[in-house]
Amino acid sequence: MEAIANPRITCAYLNSYVGKNVIVVGKVIQLRGDEALIDADGNITAHLNREAHLSAGNGVQIIGKVNPDLSIKVLSSLDLGTSVDYNLANSVVEISHQHRSLFSYD
Amino acid sequence: MTSYGGYQQTSYGGQGGNDGGGFMGASQQGSQGGAQRNYADDTLRPLTIKQLVDFKEPYPNSDLVVDGMLTTQVTLVGHVRVVNPGAVHITYRIDDGTGMIDVKKWIDADKGEATPRFGVDTYVRVYGKLQSFNGKRSIAAHYIRAIEDFNEVNYHLLEATYVHLCLTKAASADGQAPQQGGGGMDAGGDGMFVDGGYGAGGVGADMQARLSPCSRNGRTVFNFLANSATADGAHLNQVASGTGLSARDIMSATEELLGHALIYTTDDDETWAVLEC
Repeated sequence: MEAIANPRITCAYLNSYVGKNVIVVGKVIQLRGDEALIDADGNITAHLNREAHLSAGNGVQIIGKVNPDLSIKVLSSLDLGTSVDYNLANSVVEISHQHRSLFSYD
Repeated sequence: MTSYGGYQQTSYGGQGGNDGGGFMGASQQGSQGGAQRNYADDTLRPLTIKQLVDFKEPYPNSDLVVDGMLTTQVTLVGHVRVVNPGAVHITYRIDDGTGMIDVKKWIDADKGEATPRFGVDTYVRVYGKLQSFNGKRSIAAHYIRAIEDFNEVNYHLLEATYVHLCLTKAASADGQAPQQGGGGMDAGGDGMFVDGGYGAGGVGADMQARLSPCSRNGRTVFNFLANSATADGAHLNQVASGTGLSARDIMSATEELLGHALIYTTDDDETWAVLEC
């Protein structure tokens, strides 16, 4: 059992999580080599690792570290297909920040 | 779910069969209620892993209590980080973004190789019980299944939050905690209850008892009216801005309160005041 939280965030929260590991759920807008543009209530640039298999237009969950330039260095990514409810995912981010006692350790 | 039923039956038999030894056999269940444990008290509660991490056992192998509520069975959703196959059970390390916990699934000897296995990075839903061994806590899983629809992950997080809020804020559903009257509302109305003043201030305990059959909106509107304390009552617009409820919700709530003879209309059909008794 470990007390390590990877907070769920959207684009708006990037600023507060520089240098930390986060979870982002969003839609792949564009793939450029090892970079992906992901829409999670705003566009985020993600630097992919070699294992990443994403397709444009699909939902994706990435776990990664927020760089100082507010891009994300991806540690792990998961293709979620096309039936992802992005409004729901964004609401969960809001809820998880409103009720921090259930989600994070600060 | 067959394994779930079987588990209950076995331990129940163990308890009923030999009273003295039954307690020992039940130590896994915790000592709550001794040999007379009532299975009607069994609950299945959605939790985030952090809620399990945060739980401090008052004594070893104590019952799991979250938000003041005895919690027996739990359900978690997370993705598999590590798979550790053993001879008799498979251990999965599950991460839901709020923490990590080991989940042990015993291999059913009858099924043998047919026991489903889950790979790294797949999302799973786990039903099980918290157990503690040598100070290391894990979940003994009754059942694990893969999640097909990713939205279920988010539903689970919302559900866990909802249950947490119901238990911590809406304790007044049965009128026992009047100072929290109408709590457990959505975020829009939360601010009203921060001071807890509505129930404690203007509304007596007997009034809360009469309010108990009313819906949550009904109680919210009543508490607002009771505290607005003007002789002419409050107009729909005032109630709407004070409670954050929609006009339609307020109309149905006031209709309900009128039916219970708790409020009356004053200047017109959209202005109400509390009926003092």
